[in-house]
Amino acid sequence: MNVSVLLVDDDERIRQALGLALTDEGFTVEEAESGEDALRQLDSAGFDVVLLDLMLPGVDGLDVCRMLRSRGDLPIIIVTARTDTPDVIAGLEAGADDYVTKPLIASELAARIRALLRRRGGGRQNTSLTIEDLEIWPDEGVVHRAGEELYLTRTEFRLLVELAAAEGRIVTREQLLQRVWGYDYYGDTRLLDVHVRRLRMKVERNPDQPAVVLTVRGAGYKIGPPR
Amino acid sequence: MIRPVLRLSLRWRVAAALGLGSFLITSVLAVATWNLASDYMLRQRLQGATRQAEVNVRLVDESLRSGSDGLTELLTGLTTDPDSTILLFQSGQVVTSGRQIHPDVLPAQLLTLGRDGVPARQRIRADGIPVLAVTQPIDTADGVYVELFPLVQIDRTFRFLSGLLIAGTVLSGLLGVALGWWASRRALRPLTELTGAASRIAGGDLKSRLPMHADPDLAPLAATFNATADALERRVMRDARFAGDVSHELRSPLTTMVNAAAVLRRRQAELPGTSGKALELLTSEVDRFARMVVDLMEITRDDQYGDGDAFEQLDVGDIVRNIAALRLTDSTEVVVDSPSPVVLGDRRRMDRVVGNLLENAERHAGGPVRVAVLHRDGKVRVEVDDAGPGVPEDLRTQVFERFTRGSRAGRRGSDTGSGLGLALVAEHVQRHHGKVWVEDRPGGGARFVVEIPEAQP
Repeated sequence: MNVSVLLVDDDERIRQALGLALTDEGFTVEEAESGEDALRQLDSAGFDVVLLDLMLPGVDGLDVCRMLRSRGDLPIIIVTARTDTPDVIAGLEAGADDYVTKPLIASELAARIRALLRRRGGGRQNTSLTIEDLEIWPDEGVVHRAGEELYLTRTEFRLLVELAAAEGRIVTREQLLQRVWGYDYYGDTRLLDVHVRRLRMKVERNPDQPAVVLTVRGAGYKIGPPR
Repeated sequence: MIRPVLRLSLRWRVAAALGLGSFLITSVLAVATWNLASDYMLRQRLQGATRQAEVNVRLVDESLRSGSDGLTELLTGLTTDPDSTILLFQSGQVVTSGRQIHPDVLPAQLLTLGRDGVPARQRIRADGIPVLAVTQPIDTADGVYVELFPLVQIDRTFRFLSGLLIAGTVLSGLLGVALGWWASRRALRPLTELTGAASRIAGGDLKSRLPMHADPDLAPLAATFNATADALERRVMRDARFAGDVSHELRSPLTTMVNAAAVLRRRQAELPGTSGKALELLTSEVDRFARMVVDLMEITRDDQYGDGDAFEQLDVGDIVRNIAALRLTDSTEVVVDSPSPVVLGDRRRMDRVVGNLLENAERHAGGPVRVAVLHRDGKVRVEVDDAGPGVPEDLRTQVFERFTRGSRAGRRGSDTGSGLGLALVAEHVQRHHGKVWVEDRPGGGARFVVEIPEAQP
């Protein structure tokens, strides 16, 4: 699998070093030095994943993130200064799939990218899962509500499928972080919270009273009963 | 130096002084009141009794003079009070009326005075009750008239009055003590607040301040204290920010270095001999440097942003088992009490605590031999045991300080860690209101112990 990565960072030396290291990890890396540059390159070529520094001159990293998300479900990993800054939440809210903090290390980054691009395996052949009024086709990556397709990002979709596949059993936060994002241990629960919130906005009739993705206090999440 | 026996607190001294003063004043007043009131009442009673006796004796005298037989009736009519008695001594005979009293109880001197024609009076006890005996001579018959007036009523009044005065005096003394206690407490409250605020600051809460006082006596104290605390906080924050800024600024070049090093390491085989050795040194030091900066950022972040913790119920057994499954071999014994202990805490920090303790054991003592999660008197206790050389007594506090590697540094030569691992443990544990220390493991080696209050279900 040849994975192409667009690396957006205004620091040339970081771009070069990270570019070399990611190439070593087996990725094809293109570089962009600003938000405008990144958007231009994305117009002309397809990428598998975008690595986006939030501190950019010109168009803000968050704006780039929002713009990319409005265009489609291209996986976005944001690069932040610190894990506890409001940047992380803002970036996730803007549609990022995952985040890494500086100093980011190519091998760890590679693991994150692979987890993000991993498709759900398994032997289900064209079977669908039904929850409430949703029909989920794991192999094709589509969700229908009453015959109409819902547009989920890849990460949101995998989150939904993980929950649906458990068929009403509780899935812990750790399990979700591990299966969807590939965290070995200690995943950031904010990552999960933001994604669950975003998923609910799309799949719930009333996101304030969820019927599909249910919270189990102190344990994790579970899918609502099939109708 | 004051002797310990006399060493009353200021508060008690003020209370005692006020109590004593109040007691003295009221007791003087009470004594004066007693003297005046009792004297006056007794005099009234004496005069009344004497006047009545004079009237009565005149009637008796007339009756005797006229020689009528109605003397007994007259006497009966004169003794209106059931407790009063009239005794008439007349030519060797005694006529008694009213309450029967034996004449012998009367003092002989009183009778002698009566016989000698001198009126007299005396307070005596007759058959158990206090009475006033008034003696009048009878001119006609050369006899003595004695009338006993009961003093029960006035005696009762005196007892009541004296009780009231004593109780009032004692009460006023006690009130004085209470008032003194309260007043000194009020007066010393700013001092108590000051002590509280100062000890909170000493305990690490740099935001602690004194409330501003409108009172001109107290305002300067509060203002000075708060200004000092402000300066201290600014200073501490500036130091923390500096360390934070430094590590923050290091992140970008470090990203470049770490990744360039990774590229180089991959090609290490292409550089034989001296260059290869130098490259190995360089890359491993870059990695160590990166870890140090990351840890430093975490510690300075703790210093700067203290309040954003997201505390939740954490199963410590799960945390330890998760980490153990990832990084421990089967030779390490993992013990978890049942039911699994739960704390209220921040997951990331708790992970870091356990992770760093395990890393410390790996780095300095050949790896942990036992990890235990136990219940201990309302606390959750995590023990990480190793079979290494142990930590000498005099280094046991030091090992939790930043950049202290002690004599164990360099034991493994190539990799000594960031020097912040145990300092981070101490910081995180303190944030969870817990304690961490190191002790001897039974059977050799060191035992690192973390105790954190157990979460209430």
